[in-house]
Amino acid sequence: MFAFIAFSVRRGWRGFWGNGLTSLAATATTVLMLLLLSGVLILLTGLNSTLDYVQQEAPVVALLKDSATQGEIDTLQASLQAMPQVSQVTFVSKDQAYRDWIARYPDTADVINSSPNNPRPFARLQIYLRDPKDNLDVAAFVKVQPAVYEPINNQQTVDQMITLIGVFRAGGTVILVVVGLIVLFIIVNTIRLAVVARADEIEIMRLVGASDAFIRWPFIFEGVLLGLIGAAITIGLLLLAQGPIAGFLSQYFEVLPVAASATAGRDIALVVLGTGVGIGAVGSYISVRSFLIR
Amino acid sequence: MVSEATAGSKLSQTRRPGTTEKPSPEFVPAESVPARVVLAMQGVTKSYPNGRVALRGVDLTIPEGDFVFLVGPSGAGKSTVIKLLIRDELPTKGVVLLDGRDLGKLKRREVPKIRRKIGVVFQDFKLLPNKTVRDNVGFALEVTGARRRVIDTAVDRVLRVVGLTGQADQLPGQLSGGEQQRTAIARALVHNPRLFIADEPTGNLDPLIGWEIIQLLLRINELGVTVLMATHNAEVVTAVRKRVVALENGRIVRDQADAAYHRED
Repeated sequence: MFAFIAFSVRRGWRGFWGNGLTSLAATATTVLMLLLLSGVLILLTGLNSTLDYVQQEAPVVALLKDSATQGEIDTLQASLQAMPQVSQVTFVSKDQAYRDWIARYPDTADVINSSPNNPRPFARLQIYLRDPKDNLDVAAFVKVQPAVYEPINNQQTVDQMITLIGVFRAGGTVILVVVGLIVLFIIVNTIRLAVVARADEIEIMRLVGASDAFIRWPFIFEGVLLGLIGAAITIGLLLLAQGPIAGFLSQYFEVLPVAASATAGRDIALVVLGTGVGIGAVGSYISVRSFLIR
Repeated sequence: MVSEATAGSKLSQTRRPGTTEKPSPEFVPAESVPARVVLAMQGVTKSYPNGRVALRGVDLTIPEGDFVFLVGPSGAGKSTVIKLLIRDELPTKGVVLLDGRDLGKLKRREVPKIRRKIGVVFQDFKLLPNKTVRDNVGFALEVTGARRRVIDTAVDRVLRVVGLTGQADQLPGQLSGGEQQRTAIARALVHNPRLFIADEPTGNLDPLIGWEIIQLLLRINELGVTVLMATHNAEVVTAVRKRVVALENGRIVRDQADAAYHRED
C-alpha cells in the first residue's frame, strides 16, 4: 500500500511539472473558476449576514421627531397597541437609541461627539407584528402620524432581500455549473495530453501486468495537485484582496459585520479547496478511463 | 525466478501431446507423464467490427517447456494470436486457456495477474527512454507494488541471465539494438512468466545480433520457460529445428515438431 501511494504520488508530481505549460494553463483556468466561485459565495455570505442583521430588528420602526412630546408618543403607542395586527410596541428613548448605536458601532462615537450639532439617533417605537405580511398597512399608518419623522419598514427589506438572495443563489449556481463544466473539460484535456504523452508507458504498464489502480492513480494525483495549487493561489489572492472586499461589502450593503467574519472566510477557503481538489480528481479520472483495461 | 535446478526437472516432464514425433529414449513418454498445458486455444475465431476475420477456428496446444515458432505471411493472424494471449483482445468464438484459466471469463481485476504470467517482447523493444536498464526492468515489478528489496534482487538476477549486469545503469539510447532487446527480455522475465512471447524479436536487428537473441531465448527455454516466438526469419527457424506452427489466412496450415521454415510460410 505504501509502495503504491509513494509510486502514485511520485509519478503524479513528476507528471505535473513535466508538462509545465499545460499544467500552468489548466491551473490558471482553475483559479479563474475558483475566483468566480468565491465571488458568488462572498456575495451570498454578505447578503445572508445582512439579512440576519435586518431580521434582528423589529419589523416596523417608527422614528420619532425630536419635537414629539411624551403625550403624543404615549397616545401613538396606545393606538398602535390597539391595532389587531400589532403584537407589541416598545419605546426606545433618544438616549437609549444613542447607547445602542454606540454599542453596535463603537468607532463612530468620536465622530458623533466631535460636535454638539451632530445628529443623534432618533427616539423610536419598535412595532412587532402578529403576521409579518401586515408590515405595509402598519407602516402606512405610522407614516401619517404627526409625531413620526419616518417609518422604517424592516420587514419589507427582509422580503426584498430574500427574493434577491434567491435570485443570486439560482443565478450563481447556473454560472458556477457552466464554468465548472468548462473547467472540468479543460482539466480532462490537460490530463489527457499528459496521458497521451505517456501512452507508451501506459501500454508497457498494461503489458507487464500493472493493475488499473497503478495506471490511474498517478494521473489522479496529478489532477489533485493541479486543483490543490489552483485552490492555494485562489485563497492567496482572496487573502490579499480581503481588505478591499470587506470595504466594498460594507459600503454596498451598508452593514458592517459582513465579510470580516472569520468563519465565513474559513468556510469559503474550504469550499474553494474542496472544489479545486474535487474537480482535479474527477477530471483526471475521466481522462484516464479510456486507457485502462478494456 | 527460474533456477536451473528446477528447470531441469520441468524439462524432463515436457512433451507435446498430439504431435507426430516419435518418442526418443532421452525423453519420458508423454503417455506416462502428461505434460502440463500452458496454453490452449480451442476453436478460436476472431473477427473485427469491420468484417475482417483474423483467425478461423484455431486449435493450438502448447505444453510446458515447449519452444514454438509461429510463422506465416503478414496478415496471417500471428499478431492476433499474441493479442488474444495477452488478453488485449477477446475471441469472437472459442476459448483461450492460459494455465487452465479461460481468458474470456476473467474478471477485470484478474487481468493484470494473468498478464504477469506472460512475458512479452516486441520488435520495437518498447523501453522507456528516460529510465536506465535497471529501472526499465524493475518497472515491471514496481507497477505491481513489489517492495524495493524484492525488485532489486529480481532485477539483478534477470540482468545476469541476459548478460547486462555491466550496462545496468545505462539508458536505452546508450545501448546497441541487441542490448536493448536483451533489456526487454529481462523485463519480460522478471515476473517469472509461465509463457514467454516474442513478437519478431530479431526484426530490427542485424543477423549476427539476431542470432544472439535467439540463443538467449533458447537458453531461457532451457531454464524451463515456455517460449512462443512469432517470426519471419526463415534462417533461424530452419537452423533451430523446433516446433513450427504456420498460419495462413487465419488458419493453422502446419503444426510440426523439429521443423524447418517452408517457402510458403
